[in-house]
Amino acid sequence: MTYFFQLVVSGIVVGSIYALSALGFVLIYKSSRVLNIAHGQIIAGGAFIVYALTVFVGLPIYVSFVASMVITFFLAMSVERIFLRRLIGEPIISVIMVTIGLMSILNGVIYLTPFGSLNYSFPEFLPTTPISLGGVSISWTQLVGVIITALLIGAFSWFFKRSTIGISMRAVSDDQFAAMSVGISVPRVFGLAWAMAGLSAAGAGAIIGNITGLNFETLGAFGITVFPVVILGGLDSIVGAVVAGIIMGLIQQFAAGYLDGNWGLNGTADVLPYIILLVILLFKPHGLFGTHEIERV
Amino acid sequence: MSANRFFATGNFFTSYREEQRIFRTHLDRGLFILFLACLFAWPLFFDASNRTMLVINNILIAVVAVYGLNLVTGFAGLISIGHAAFVGVGAYTVAGLAWAIGEGHPLIVHWWPLMILAAGGMGAVFGAFVGLPAMRLKHLYLAIATLSFQMIFTWTIKFMPTFNQGQMIPVGRVVWIGGEVGRKVHYLFWYYAILVVAVICGLMVRNLLRSRYGRCLVAVRDNDRAADAMGMHPGLTKVYAFTLAGFFAGVAGALHTYMFRGAGFESFTLHHSITYLAMAIVGGLGTLPGSLFGPAAIYTLELQMEHLSEWSGTFLPDSFNLATALRPLGFGLVIVLFLMFEPRGMANWWRICRSYVKLWPFRY
Repeated sequence: MTYFFQLVVSGIVVGSIYALSALGFVLIYKSSRVLNIAHGQIIAGGAFIVYALTVFVGLPIYVSFVASMVITFFLAMSVERIFLRRLIGEPIISVIMVTIGLMSILNGVIYLTPFGSLNYSFPEFLPTTPISLGGVSISWTQLVGVIITALLIGAFSWFFKRSTIGISMRAVSDDQFAAMSVGISVPRVFGLAWAMAGLSAAGAGAIIGNITGLNFETLGAFGITVFPVVILGGLDSIVGAVVAGIIMGLIQQFAAGYLDGNWGLNGTADVLPYIILLVILLFKPHGLFGTHEIERV
Repeated sequence: MSANRFFATGNFFTSYREEQRIFRTHLDRGLFILFLACLFAWPLFFDASNRTMLVINNILIAVVAVYGLNLVTGFAGLISIGHAAFVGVGAYTVAGLAWAIGEGHPLIVHWWPLMILAAGGMGAVFGAFVGLPAMRLKHLYLAIATLSFQMIFTWTIKFMPTFNQGQMIPVGRVVWIGGEVGRKVHYLFWYYAILVVAVICGLMVRNLLRSRYGRCLVAVRDNDRAADAMGMHPGLTKVYAFTLAGFFAGVAGALHTYMFRGAGFESFTLHHSITYLAMAIVGGLGTLPGSLFGPAAIYTLELQMEHLSEWSGTFLPDSFNLATALRPLGFGLVIVLFLMFEPRGMANWWRICRSYVKLWPFRY
């Protein structure tokens, strides 16, 4: 039973990271209907910036955490300005392929830095003894990671619900023409959505980097592993991202804990999310919380 | 149709039959035959090294695969991020059988044309199966469904003992008229085999596109609700688009296995799916000549990048790993620049040249 609860705890930890990474996709998709495949690379970039600022420059880690968020905020905004602004109104395949191309370019840029091939890990800044409660243990990094994730997601939800910019973003996602007619600058909202996604990506990157160590392959792969989460939750729902993130985290942990090694199975944690995703899509084509599109000829 | 069918300036169709011809003018037909003759004849006059032949064979295999991707993504408008998995299905139809019954079994080495067809059939079956969600899913959700297939395929190959857990599965040398195809003529033999298959497949696609079913694909891409109202069945059309894509990919996969004399899972990963998409886009989505230009362009680019990184390795320090960085950088830049400045791909350049010659000496 302790094993079960241990899996639940680590499932929630992994799931909340997924939720934070998925948030970036949802922010961009919600406002501009673009699926950003390069998100994993932005996550990795954010994590590397935190590390570089902490270790190479020597800032305190909390300062560099915030600084990295600010840097990726502007980086993602300029990516939108340079690459995606001129593709507004192009077919969906072009937009997807541009983000794929972007992924490739960012890969190349990161390979140019020392982070491309070497492994690093963050300096310890939290107590190293894990907290233990009735046999179930959770490390301080994981706990702090989950708390920061919860805070960030809460802040984003508040931002969308209450702030003027958040409301204008929701307006754009609802109807671009109507939003324009009440004086919202649609391109500016797109840029802001990317910037917000960059910000959340840096947060996610720093947290993942603290838990798993800094390895470009792992961090970059997050962009792909997080797809089942986004689709399961519905591409345009923040609640969906959180719920689906935690569901996927739990599924992966249970698969790794109970399936691997039995019946000759191995590595099921990598494949099970996709199988479940396919099954769910057959019954709910817009994910669990996604809005149904009404199409007119 | 003008009296001179060699040098028509512009299109003068007076019936639907004329519009549906494979070759619009005699000039088209003549050039096509000349082009084919060149492709078949050049190895007789030039003594190409094995390395060159390998690249050319790779390009031709990719051409066959990109026909399929172009059908599903270019003509039917369904984004498929799992095309390499279909190629893998074809490759592992041959390799899996070789693993089960022995690499030198007559079925594999004597009846290889049949095996190529069987691989195509297997690809088609998987294509139809993966296409089923297309009945209900749209756009991005569908793209992710194909991505899931890619992931599940890679996992299956990597962890199943039936497929040697993704390690290289050897396949024997094939037998053709006059005995076994030896090491010296291996690449040359497969150049001709792949070329014949590629030409047949190209004619198949061209014929499909002028038939009712091909037009159906385009109609569903442009607006599936409208196509539904016109009496087509969008769901079924999408499924058979995937089936056809699976068929061509399967054939390409079987050729790949035979040419490399084996199959391993590294040739069928997500990265390759993305490369196929890039080929289709650089060549020009929804155009037949684009399926030829795209693979050639991408393979040439990769070769040049390799040369460049080798050359830069001679004077740059080892810690600065430009070699690994150059490939993704160049690849990504080409995709992005094409999408930003020439979204219709290289086929559009070809179209511009053609219409310039056709309308000469008039500018418009």
